[in-house]
Amino acid sequence: MAAATSTAFGGGETGGGGLAAGEMEVEAYRRLFPLAFYERHLRDSVRPDARPLHRARDTSIALGPVASADGSALVKIGDTTMLAAIKLEVMTPATDAPDEGSLAIEFYMPPICSPTVRPGRPAEVAPVISKQLSDTIISSQMINLKELSLVSGKASWMSYLDIYCLNADGALFDAALLSAIAAFSHLQIPLVSLNDDGKVITVSEELLEGKPSVELVNKEKRKLPLQRIPFSLTCLLHEKYILADPTAEEESVMETFVTVVLDSLGQLVSIYKPGGAVLARRSTVKECIRLTKQRIDELKNILDESASAMEVA
Amino acid sequence: MEYVDSLTGFRLDGRRPNDMRQIRGEIGVVAKADGSALFEMGNTKVIAAVYGPREVQNKGQQINNQALVRCEYSMANFSTGDRTRRPKGDRRSTEISLVIRQTMEACILVHLMPRSQIDIFVQVLQADGGTRSACINAATLALADAGIPMRDLVTSCSAGYLSSTPLLDLNYVEDSAGGPDVTVGILAKTDKVTLLQMDSKLPIDIFENVMQLAIEGCKAIAQYIREVLLENTKLLESRKGL
Repeated sequence: MAAATSTAFGGGETGGGGLAAGEMEVEAYRRLFPLAFYERHLRDSVRPDARPLHRARDTSIALGPVASADGSALVKIGDTTMLAAIKLEVMTPATDAPDEGSLAIEFYMPPICSPTVRPGRPAEVAPVISKQLSDTIISSQMINLKELSLVSGKASWMSYLDIYCLNADGALFDAALLSAIAAFSHLQIPLVSLNDDGKVITVSEELLEGKPSVELVNKEKRKLPLQRIPFSLTCLLHEKYILADPTAEEESVMETFVTVVLDSLGQLVSIYKPGGAVLARRSTVKECIRLTKQRIDELKNILDESASAMEVA
Repeated sequence: MEYVDSLTGFRLDGRRPNDMRQIRGEIGVVAKADGSALFEMGNTKVIAAVYGPREVQNKGQQINNQALVRCEYSMANFSTGDRTRRPKGDRRSTEISLVIRQTMEACILVHLMPRSQIDIFVQVLQADGGTRSACINAATLALADAGIPMRDLVTSCSAGYLSSTPLLDLNYVEDSAGGPDVTVGILAKTDKVTLLQMDSKLPIDIFENVMQLAIEGCKAIAQYIREVLLENTKLLESRKGL
């Protein structure tokens, strides 16, 4: 956030809402004439937090913050914080897909995340992002559902992915998708065995040592293999400027955005531009795709680093 | 089941009967909130965010001579051992929301902020017993971070009685043992009790011991909270260049 220095901000610009003479504090100008405030920065190709237009905020991933979940991750992009956790339960697979498990993905914005979310008035964007996430993860085919099968026709894994937004400061979809991927990369499938009733139950490590005769359905705890991991970048469009990874303040001032999702092989998974005042030309969309490609390299590195940090610990 | 080992005197997790779990508190975890805090008691992790004083949303509820305090408690789906889909307004959440609200209302100087609203939101990320207490402690830190005037710090701790021994700060396993569970919330300096809840059965003299133990726990937590707030103030001072 900008430092609280009260330098005078000279008026006399038609874009500033007709501020004729006189000066005003920066913070007041920022609140009263937000668009003019931003345009003055954009002309110098910079943003109020000193980022160049195409740079994303500092991103960090921490794996395994929720010890009780089978896989979890805490992701921060700037101040936006997402906590994702996966719990696996055994279920009977559908009759038309006896060799496949299933995924249930949900996104929540509890009232702690933003002053605009209140009990009785949930965030409008929460179900939208929930659906977007669900569609993106399933259609990218990152997870092969056959890997979630246990006993064909009898038992398979239902994985519940819950993502909670703990701090909403823009680019919610990007952070949520990254946290989902990180949680899946951390996921360890627990050991199961058949008990006397023919039901599949989870087996904890301690139980195993005491009873060598327990028949295991899957031989060892394993990680879920992920192919074609999707990564995303949201860009704001304003006149001829493209701002990558917006903060909540930027999103409230300039409303048109494009979210591009590419997978780790560089193929396009989805483009999402839900209307908005700015009409994008083809060159703009191509530029957004190029920025996303750049971002993917950064994100891949961060994800690999966090995975190796886990192994060292 | 032996909750206190008869030979060594240790509990299931290796603590002594008078030991509290490791506590950790951090302020300012939610940047957009007016005040926020993360509080951990052992494996129980809770985030509290405070918004306010701000304009009352529902004008019908506005009180002309004091602030309106609202509280919402919710648990994440993955917070407990089994993932359960929790409906927002289920009975347990509503009851705990009410308890936290009334506890905090007792210590906030509401008469200083008429016609305004203070929202306290608590989210449980991991539950291992003592969530009520962790929520109250987190709410106190968050209110202090928001600069809302309070009479005193409210801290809370639980205690129980298993295997004929009073135990401080029960975890989930001990809590589910079916023995009595006493949760106490006190105003630390003035030594007044604002919250007292107990279930199951206890003879009165033993109850007094258990309650005293819980109050000791509350005082220890209050000491820790004071240290956290002092650290935070020193940090703010150095940032301002004082």
